[in-house]
Order: sequence, then C-alpha cells, then structure tokens
Amino acid sequence: MDEIAPWEQFVRGTALHHFVYTYEPWVWPTCEIIHYLGLSLLLGTVGLFDLRVLGMVRAIPPRTIHRLVPFGVAGFCLNVVTGIMFFSGHPDQYFYNDSGRLKALFMAIAGINILAFYGTGAFAEMKTLPSGADAPMRLKLIAGISLAMWIGVLICGRFLTWFRPPFFH
Amino acid sequence: MDTFLSFIESSDLSMWIRGESMLAFPTIITVHTICMGLLAGTSSAIDLRILGVAPAIPMDSLRRFYPMMWLALAINAVTGVLMVIGYPTKQLTNPLFYIKLSLVGLGVWLVYRIGMEVLGGSGQKAETARAKWLAWGSLATWVGLIIAGRLLEYTHKWELLGVRALT
Repeated sequence: MDEIAPWEQFVRGTALHHFVYTYEPWVWPTCEIIHYLGLSLLLGTVGLFDLRVLGMVRAIPPRTIHRLVPFGVAGFCLNVVTGIMFFSGHPDQYFYNDSGRLKALFMAIAGINILAFYGTGAFAEMKTLPSGADAPMRLKLIAGISLAMWIGVLICGRFLTWFRPPFFH
Repeated sequence: MDTFLSFIESSDLSMWIRGESMLAFPTIITVHTICMGLLAGTSSAIDLRILGVAPAIPMDSLRRFYPMMWLALAINAVTGVLMVIGYPTKQLTNPLFYIKLSLVGLGVWLVYRIGMEVLGGSGQKAETARAKWLAWGSLATWVGLIIAGRLLEYTHKWELLGVRALT
C-alpha cells in the first residue's frame, strides 16, 4: 500500500494540510488538548444523560439532565474540528488504521442512534419521565448504545497510536 | 534518585507494563482516559450547574454522582501509578508531572469541598460567591489538569534511564 490514492493526494493538496504539516510541533499538541477537553465535555454530559436513562441517580428527571447535552454537542463540535485537522495532517495514518476505521464505524452507529432518539417519539417520551421514573426498555436501549459507542470511540481513539499502518506517506 | 529509578525499571512489573505484554500499556492508558473523562466531565457538569446552567437539576441529587467520581479517581490513581512504574524516569524527572499531581490534589479537594458545602440542601448555597469561586476553580483545575497531562508526552526529557526522549 505504498502508492498514494487520489483522495489522499487531494487532501495533501489542501491549505489545511499544509498548515497542520508546517506548524505541527505546536498545532498537534494544541489540537490534542482541545480534543481531550471536548471528549470530557461529551462524556460528562451525554454520558451522564445515558447513565440516568439507564437508571442511575433516578432523583433527577431525565429532561433536566438533558439540558447539559448542548455542552456535550459543543465538545463534539470541538472534536470534529480538531479531528479534521488531525486527519488533514496525516490522512494515511487514520484511513489505513484498523482502530481509525473502527472509530469511524462507532461514530456512524452513534449518529444513527442519535437520529433514532430525536427523530422518533423517543425524545418526547423521555421528556415525560418524572423524577424517580424507570425509563422504558426502548429508551434504555438507545442510551446503552450511545454510552457504548462513545466509550468505544474513546478507546479506538486512544488505540490509534498502536495500530498505525507500517508505511508513512 | 538514579538507583531508585533503575530499581523500578528493572522490576518485572515495570518491564511487563512497558511491552512484554503488547496490550498492557494501551489498556492502562485507555482506562485512565475513560475515567478522566468521567471524573473531569461529571465534575465540570456539576460546576456548570452551580454556575447556573440547567437550573432545574436539583442540587442535592448531584451528590449521587459522587460515588462514581470517587471510583473513577481511584481507578485513575491505580492506572497512574502503574504508568509511572512502567516509565518512572520519564515522569519523575519531568517538572510538569509534579504540577499535574498538584492539580490532581487541588481538583480532588475542590470536588470534596463542593460536595460538602454546596450540594447539600435545596440549592440556596449555590448562590453564594464562595460557591461560584469553587465552581470556577474546579473548571479551571480540570482544564489545567488535562493540558498538563497531555503535554507530558511532549515535555519529557527521558524515556527510560539513559534513554533520551524521542519527541
């Protein structure tokens, strides 16, 4: 796998790639720091919401802990931006990386799960649950998949280092 | 100091963490990252609540997340110690590592004080200036801690005793 595919040549021709590549010594650590802050925001809000739906700390009505989710979305947006910067810098190291591919798959499943939550009656149903209520199985399934996928994304992200492809374009 | 570092690095546990088992270090650091996310994230969510975000969340119910946070902290203490056992020279000769440990101490103290002073009762204690200071302090500490932790990878001078850093 030593030839460079057309899509990779395209990425390497972009201004973003040149920026990340040229200033990598400070861009990379800065992006990593922001990436970790973003993941903490995501896990600490969406993760808490998922845990509540799954039955933890039932005194809090799910709809009120859901108010924290926009901060998780903000964290996710930070991670998408920094993720694009990482990818632009070294596309081959992520695309041909088993851990990178699994990470992308988990994010896709998490995305479909989000559509299933907000795009069906599940979201409205969640809002009706009072303090102390046990969520119905359908909601617990969505929350369980969400929590598993985001933790899976974290694990795969951390494991990227050890699954780098042997070549370096 | 060198004899101490060499003693640790030549131990079976240290060598096992470093790579005799290919999966040991990645697993240890990934568990560390997950618990970091849960601890820092949950504490930050509590801090945001104190600062007025999502006011419908009952303040005293947030105390129920504390057992999870303490468990995450305990797991991070264990995984952290294991990582230092794996690479003692790398961390113990890096001043930033001691800054990180101080921030952990400060963060834990703030989480404890917030639990004691702010989270009991109906929430009126969150309105005080002191509560706001604790919350901002806690948020700042987590940000600083994550920055310090991440920069350890870039600021260390030694990988192992006598082996200079690669980055």
